[in-house]
Parts: sequence; structure tokens; C-alpha cells
Amino acid sequence: MNPLALSLILTTLLAGTLITMMSSHWLTAWMGLEMNMLTMIPILMKTTNPRSTEAATKYFMTQAMASMMLMMALTINLMYSGQWSITKMTNPVASNMALMALMTKLGSAPFHFWVPEVTQGVELTPGMILLTWQKLAPLSLLYQMATYTNTNLIYLSGLLSILIGGWGGLNQTQLRKILAYSSISHMGWMLIILPFNPTLTLLNLTIYIMLTLSIFMILTNTFTTSMSSLTLMWNKTPAMTIMLMTTLLSLGGLPPLSGFMPKWLMIHELTKNNSIIMPLTMAIMALLNMYFYMRLIYYSSLTILPSTNNMKMTWRFTNTKHTMTLPTLITLSNMLLPLTPMISMLE
Amino acid sequence: LIMALVHKLLNGVYILRKCQMPSAASCLFLGPHSADYCSSSLQKPAAAPGKAGSPQRKTERDLQGHHQKEVDLDITSPEEMPEVSFDKAIRDEIKDHFRRLKDEFVSHWIGPQGRPLHEVLLEQAKVVWQFRGKEDLDKWIVTSDKTIGGRSEVFLKMGKNNQSALLYGNLSSEAPQDGESSRSGYCGMVSRIPRGAFERKKSYDWSQFNTLYLRVRGDGRPWMVNIREDTDIVQRKNQMYSYFMFTRGGPYWQEVKIPFSKFFFSNQGRIRDTQFQLLLDKISSIGFTLADKVDGPFFLEIDFIGVFTDPAHTEEYAYENSPDLNP
Repeated sequence: MNPLALSLILTTLLAGTLITMMSSHWLTAWMGLEMNMLTMIPILMKTTNPRSTEAATKYFMTQAMASMMLMMALTINLMYSGQWSITKMTNPVASNMALMALMTKLGSAPFHFWVPEVTQGVELTPGMILLTWQKLAPLSLLYQMATYTNTNLIYLSGLLSILIGGWGGLNQTQLRKILAYSSISHMGWMLIILPFNPTLTLLNLTIYIMLTLSIFMILTNTFTTSMSSLTLMWNKTPAMTIMLMTTLLSLGGLPPLSGFMPKWLMIHELTKNNSIIMPLTMAIMALLNMYFYMRLIYYSSLTILPSTNNMKMTWRFTNTKHTMTLPTLITLSNMLLPLTPMISMLE
Repeated sequence: LIMALVHKLLNGVYILRKCQMPSAASCLFLGPHSADYCSSSLQKPAAAPGKAGSPQRKTERDLQGHHQKEVDLDITSPEEMPEVSFDKAIRDEIKDHFRRLKDEFVSHWIGPQGRPLHEVLLEQAKVVWQFRGKEDLDKWIVTSDKTIGGRSEVFLKMGKNNQSALLYGNLSSEAPQDGESSRSGYCGMVSRIPRGAFERKKSYDWSQFNTLYLRVRGDGRPWMVNIREDTDIVQRKNQMYSYFMFTRGGPYWQEVKIPFSKFFFSNQGRIRDTQFQLLLDKISSIGFTLADKVDGPFFLEIDFIGVFTDPAHTEEYAYENSPDLNP
């Protein structure tokens, strides 16, 4: 892409998210979301093949529909309360509609159908931006309107997201779809804890973004998009294969890795609020995610599948992809658990 | 199924189990599945010519003779009417769809495409379509330029000993006299899009493989192999990836191996300047087209169509784009 156009697009993407995160007025927040959506379209269509065009079209349709629903919610809120403040969305119809619109933007169930299709249709880098950066703006709005949201709807959507994220990822061989379902599942965890402790939602989001960025960067460096090419990664980059293994375990929430921290704190928070069945259900459904992460680890790091020599002995070119943030991200993704008391102190 | 339900709701009455005078109009709404239940009631009892003659002769004889027997009317008596059950048709259809949904859940748990993951990862060759019975022919649709007013004919039937399928017919490049088509002359067969429960579209995942394998026996004509990707957007339904298949003719079977990297992209029948790689994770259908402008009969015998991994083939994509067209 033309460097000037790319810088303009990335700047607008950054600005859109920051406008939404920093605004307390619904209209500016909505404007930021629209800027985000519009600049994401050329990013998704960076490679102009028909599949990425279809993915960008699907993304545009769903996000535009969510924006329309959000605008309707704001209008109803304005009609009943006469104000545009995000934190005071008292009308239940408006808050439910806004909640559904933001859940569509996040890709949580039952509005999740676009996530695997769009993520699979685009390259790894736009997919990475879609599953990490694009979550910031809607979650910041949900964080602000947490007190007036319908908790039943949030719990239902959260549980469905965890279930569908786990179930959907089970028989996938394409890595981008696996990460899309992983995203749906993590959104479920973030939504459920929102009425209890919104800070934990942000913590979960931060850890999730770190983990997802690490995995996407590893896959981008090794040009891996499917499980069959993952089985040959040990030959090209054995160190990165090991790191992928630990990062996936962390994403599954296994102690003593960083990914265990948000799950532990969330279950602790839920049980403190006399909710036993829900965290139990969430923990059991998270095992589905853990199952397909373990399968990825099994086939990439723990076993060597039969392959021919010309698949093993490939030409080794100088890697032109930059990896400067990857070691930091991997370290943070795996070794943050001992800092948990510090995070409790910040609350 | 949906049309049947709408019809039932609009009518507001249950169609009698043994309807005496079924109307053709009501059966139009019932759809293909329910047609099996009611079509027989529309038909006259199929009588052989000998049989048709004999009641008349008998009647004449009876008129001449002692007592009259009943005249054979078109309306069959209630006792002979087959049972028409609209409710049963809907119930069976719904049960079938839910059974398929349950099967999908179970196969989803087992692994990709209903098989364990290690089997899918280790697989290096797979037969996707084979022709061993009439049910295999139902997975294909034949088409020709008759749809636009041309004169080509194409048929598909099972070959000898039910070991292959024979696509045969007559190609005619005579243009239809409709005032707008100046060219004509194509025949082809396309595989049906695989459907799941509630007629949802499914697709094939061939990302493990890199070559298409066809065991065919032709008559020396050049065919075109077309692959379509699964899509939800109507504009992409005209896009396909094609390559040529040159048949040798002669009595021996021919093994055609076409790497997927060789397929070129076309939209609305025109090869585009910007070319894209065929992505193998969502394949919808495969088709064979004959349009070589040579009038006359043709045939193509197909044993099976499969995909496999050719380890010697390392090419990712055979074509490159001009940076002016595709920066």
C-alpha cells in the first residue's frame, strides 16, 4: 500500500479508538466507532483477493448494522433522558439495544457469526488488528455503561460466547478460525465479570491482547496459517515452536502462566459474590478451549508428524519480518502470574 | 418445507387424509418432498393398453350381454386412493433435518469433516467424487446451452458395470435465434453444493492437498475444469477458477493431475487481468465444461475425482500480477 495512504489509515484507526475511549458524550463515541470501522475496511482488503473483499464486505455489513442499532439506542436515550452521557443510560430499552450493538461490534454470541468468516478471509496482520485493537473501543463503552446494563443479557451472552467459542473451535484446521473462536470465548469471560468488577474486564482484555499479539506474531513470522504447516514449524524455528506452546497454554488459562491470572481473579470475584454455578460452568466450558489448544501444542511441539524430506529441508531465507516486540510480549504472556498481588493492590 | 408450512397456515384447514378431488394448484405449493405423497393421487391409474382395452370390451360385452358392470371412470374409488398426508410429509421432513443436525453435532465432536484430526492431518490422498451407483449421479447437475435457446444436448448416466459415469451428448454451436446471443455451444456438468441440516451450504476443505486428480476417458476433446469457492455474496457466484483438461481419446483410462496452483481466475466467464490464487479451504463445487466450437457428439467417462498432495510440486501460484494492476 502507498506509505502515505497507510499512515493516514493507521492514524485514523488510532484516532478513532482514542476518540471513543476518551469521550463521555455518546455522539463522539459513536463517531469514533464509525472512524474505526471505515478505516478497517482498507486494512482488511490489503491483499485484494476475492476472499478478503468478501470478508471486508461482511465486516462492513455487520458493523454498520451495529452502528445503526447503537444510534437508535442513543436517540431513544436522548428522547427519554434528554442527555448524551454514556454513564447515565437509564432507559432499559436504550441500554439493551446499545448493549446488543456493542456485543455485535465485539463479536460475542449470539452476534458472533461474522468473526470466524472475516478472520479467516483476511491475512494474518489485519486479522491480528481485528481481534485485538478493535476490541478496545466497544469495551471502553461497555466499561462506562456497566452500571446500567441488563445483567441477565450480559450473563446469557457471556455464557453463550464461552460455549460457542469452545465448541466452534473444536474441529478447525485453520489457525485464524481457531483464534477467532478463542476471541469469542474470551469476550464471554470479559462480559460476565463486567457487572461485578469492570476492572477485571480490563485486566482480562490486556492479558488477552498480549497473548493474541504474541501468537499472531509467531504465526506471521513463520508464514503459518493452517495446522498442517504448523506441524512443520519445528523444523524451521524450534525456539518459536516452544514459545508457541507456552503461549497457547497461557491462552488456555493454565497456571503458572499469565493467562491463569484473569481467570483466577474472575472466579474469585464471582464466588465472593455468591455465584457458584456460573463460574463452575465457565470453568468447565473453558476446558473445550483448552482441548483444542492442547491439540495445537500436540501437533506442533510434542509430536513430529510424518513428512517428506523436501518439506523438512526448505531453503532458509533471511527473515524480513521485524520481531522486536515479540520477545517482550512472549515474556509478558508467560511470566506475569507472580505479579498478581500487585494487581490486587491497584484495585 | 417452508412453502408447505405457509400453505397450511393460509388454508387454515387440514387436507383430508384421503382427499377425493385433489387439485393441481394445491400440489404446486407442497414442494418436491410432499409431491411424492400427493402426486400419485393426480395421476390416472397407469393402465397398460391391453388393460385399457379390456374393460371397454368387457363393457360392450356386458351391454350386449346380461348385466352391466361399472364403467371405468377417471375418478378412482376412495378405497384405491393412496394415502395423502400433508402432516406426515412435514413431520418426516423436520425429523430428517433434526437428524442431520444431530449427526453434524456428533461429527463436529469427532473432528474436522467427521473424522479424527490426526486422520485429516496425515491424509495425503482422498477420493471426493466417485461413480458407483445412481445415488452418485444425483450429486451432479448437467447443463447445456439449451437454457439460453441453443441446440446442444447433454446426458449423464452410469457407465458399464456401474464403475464410471458417462457424460455424453451432442454439441451444437448454432446460436439461439433470440436477437441477442451471437455465440453458443457449451455443455457441462457441475457438482451440487453439499448441504447440511436445514439446507445450509457446506464446503470442502482441501487445504491439506495441492493437486486435483481425475481418472477419465475422453474422446480427444479439450475440456475445462472449473472450481468454485463457497461464498455468501451474490457477486462472487460468477467467479471461478479454471484449467484445461485435454483428453486423449482411445480405450485407455487417462490420469489427469492438475495442481491447484495452475488454476486461473475468471469472473462472469472472462479471464481477468488481475489473477488470484485459488484458496482451498472453502471449495463449493467442481465442474466440467465443453465449449470447443466443434459441432458433433462427445463423451467423457469419469471413474473418480480425487485430491492428493504431490510432494514434488512446490509451486504456490503459477501466475503473477502486474504491479500497475494490483499494487
